[in-house]
Amino acid sequence: MTGSRAPNYVAIWVWLVALALASLAAGLLPGGRTVTVAVVFAAATVKALLVALNYMHLRFEPRLVHALALVPLLVVAVLAVALVPDLVLRR
Amino acid sequence: MGQGAVVVTTARAHGPAQSWVSRVFSTDHKTIGKQYLALGVFWAVVGGLLAGAMRWQLAWPDGRVPGLGEIGPDTYNMLVTMHGTIMVFFVAMPILLGAFGNFLIPLMIGARDMAFPRLNMLSVWTFALASLVLLASFFVPGGAASAGWTAYPPLSARPDYSGVEWGLNLWILALALEFASFLMGGVNYLTTAMALRAPGMTFFRLPMLVWQQLTAATLFLLSVGPLIAGAVMLLLDRTLGTGFYAPELGGDPLLWQHLFWFFGHPEVYVIFLPALGIVLEILPVFSRKPLFAYRWIVWATVTAGALSFVVWAHHMFQSGMDPRLAMPFSVTTILISVPFAFIVFCMIATLWGGALRFDPPMLWALGFLTMFIVGGLTGIFNGSAPADIYLRNTYFVVAHFHYTLFSAVVFGGFAGLYFWFPKMFGRLLPARLGTLHFWLTLVAFNVTFFPMHHLGLAGMVRRIANPLQYDLLVPYQWVNVVATLGALGLLGAQVAFVAAVVQALITGRRAPANPWEANTLEWAAPSPPLHLNWGARVPIVHRGPYEYSRPDQPTDWLPQHAAAAPAGR
Amino acid sequence: MALASEVHALAGEPEVLPGLRAGKVAVWWFLASETMVFGGLIASALVVRLGGEGWHEASAHLGVTLAAVNTLILLTSSLTVVQAFAAAARGDRASTSLSLALTVAGGLAFLALKAVEYTTEVRAGYTPASGIFWSFYYAMTGLHALHVAAGVVVNAVLLVAGRLRTPQRVELAGLYWHFVDVVWIFLFPLLYLS
Repeated sequence: MTGSRAPNYVAIWVWLVALALASLAAGLLPGGRTVTVAVVFAAATVKALLVALNYMHLRFEPRLVHALALVPLLVVAVLAVALVPDLVLRR
Repeated sequence: MGQGAVVVTTARAHGPAQSWVSRVFSTDHKTIGKQYLALGVFWAVVGGLLAGAMRWQLAWPDGRVPGLGEIGPDTYNMLVTMHGTIMVFFVAMPILLGAFGNFLIPLMIGARDMAFPRLNMLSVWTFALASLVLLASFFVPGGAASAGWTAYPPLSARPDYSGVEWGLNLWILALALEFASFLMGGVNYLTTAMALRAPGMTFFRLPMLVWQQLTAATLFLLSVGPLIAGAVMLLLDRTLGTGFYAPELGGDPLLWQHLFWFFGHPEVYVIFLPALGIVLEILPVFSRKPLFAYRWIVWATVTAGALSFVVWAHHMFQSGMDPRLAMPFSVTTILISVPFAFIVFCMIATLWGGALRFDPPMLWALGFLTMFIVGGLTGIFNGSAPADIYLRNTYFVVAHFHYTLFSAVVFGGFAGLYFWFPKMFGRLLPARLGTLHFWLTLVAFNVTFFPMHHLGLAGMVRRIANPLQYDLLVPYQWVNVVATLGALGLLGAQVAFVAAVVQALITGRRAPANPWEANTLEWAAPSPPLHLNWGARVPIVHRGPYEYSRPDQPTDWLPQHAAAAPAGR
Repeated sequence: MALASEVHALAGEPEVLPGLRAGKVAVWWFLASETMVFGGLIASALVVRLGGEGWHEASAHLGVTLAAVNTLILLTSSLTVVQAFAAAARGDRASTSLSLALTVAGGLAFLALKAVEYTTEVRAGYTPASGIFWSFYYAMTGLHALHVAAGVVVNAVLLVAGRLRTPQRVELAGLYWHFVDVVWIFLFPLLYLS
């Protein structure tokens, strides 16, 4: 990654730290645990995307690499959904 | 790709000039393939002997098994467990994926070696280490693992339930190493096929074997992860007192079953697809006809591969899982039979009207086709949840998976060995011994396993050491005896193969480069190929792999790399 | 035996697509399989948490402060490792070494703090056998820590063995390191903030 196409790594870092600190503070939000958990996981997702797209350069890679990153997540989602009836609904 | 431009003037031949050190520590994909083959054959002997012991016990439960004495239920559980584990992970995968994949993929795509030769060497050494660990597990106090190759907790999680302590821990470790080995291999195969194809070798000119190997590698890479997670959890339950699978500690045994079968189902296709690839190479060559509907077979394979990730709970219909999962998984299981049935029809269509040559590779390929049809049909019964209520855990299931797995490992494996033996070892296998080997195996296989359909329907359950304990099975004991005689015949029939190999290597004729008049690139290299496969230049590909019996050609075959002008050479 | 590698070196590293080297594709395939490992573990934990009782209460016994510091350390080390790559790509060996050293230091600091955490927890009586939350906590953070350790080794080798250090290899090591960071980005809220 050279020259003008490279992301501003430090700027991304600032966002990552901000989101991390915001997650820590989410417990102070009103709305109970559900809101906190939702905010915290949303922040985590954004952080992960920032790292993946900018630090791992997915933003600049061909679609093949996007597929390699995305398909396993979809497969994990299938597994997670299938586990719900036995491990959540029947407890 | 810059390969065609590289002129390699040094091309050392293999042979007596190589020291044993360089042969053992080789990064050459052909040598590594043979190392996988040797390890797989070793374990096939062990696994086969374990099966022989099992069958002896089942036929004569109150007697003594030669070499082992009287066998009780605990020992029988160990035999069953290790037989299954060895056959799936230490025979099928190293032979079908490790040996054939390593040896053939670079040759078939026109590459000089895998993309990462040293990683390749590391992978086979990791597999050798896994083998040592598994072998060691037989000799530790408490014996080898005995919780089934499926290792369901709590039997597998509590050493006090199974009586096995170190054996199961080493089993888990051996599998972890085996997984690491094939993860490395899978990454290598996929990257090699993506990056190192010769000029003109587009994806849709690849031999079908390569497509099947790549799909199998993808399935393995994407499915083994959750089982690795589950195995870590099992090891922790066994050693640190965690409770992942213990209801009394907040866990659930069904979690293991889901994680295991989430991998376990794609795994059977990881085994099956490479064998299918072997047979799909052989049928056109020995029919002198193009492979029927090549592109459609590719799409069917990819579809089946994708579907394989959403069928796993058909192994769990009777596990106590949520009954609402039964219908969706039955539907997906029936659906997955469609692409495979389509491929079977394509194989028949390839043969139809062909100028058939019945050399041993073709006989084994036809055996694969017919035996797989039987196994596939019983799969449909098992996949229907209501039928499975009756069939689950009986010998009907044992018959089903032996018809499918045997098709893959034995019929597919021997088809490949007889076909590529000349290329791998530079000698021709004697055809008469090969034909005898095939017929003896085919007959003995059916004598052993066909009656198991009936045994299962009559109510004989799996994994029992003494059928005579059950009054309902006493009238059927003669079937067990017949199956055992078949099994002993099956073991004995393999002597014909040993004899064929010995004869070929010692007194056999040297093989020409292309004894079968086949089109794919590996036949353009000498038998065996030189180090780095191709001489000064890699071949340039002009056409697909199945140009047989073209009306505009003087010969009934036209190699992929032959120049555009007619005249087959 | 070395000839195969030499052939590749002569021809340049093989490319999967123009500009996309085989080594990078191989690492992404490897990360895909690792995603399945951690994904399987995290999916299991998530589902057990949703179906069970007492997760939140048990999680309250964890020390969030130390883990929050670890989160910031790991995030920063992701920055330094990608800066190492950028420096290597422009031929600045001194900056590359500095950035790699900072990354290694970050990884070691993470492991040290994790060890402190584990010791505190075990001393307080919370072992892997203390309940399903603790089982998952130790399993997930333990497996993650092993991966951090492996990454530290890889980065340390690139730091020390200058001959082995190419920009491509620094990039690939960085890809792995970012993956380890991303796993922690999800482990932290799942275990500490839920």
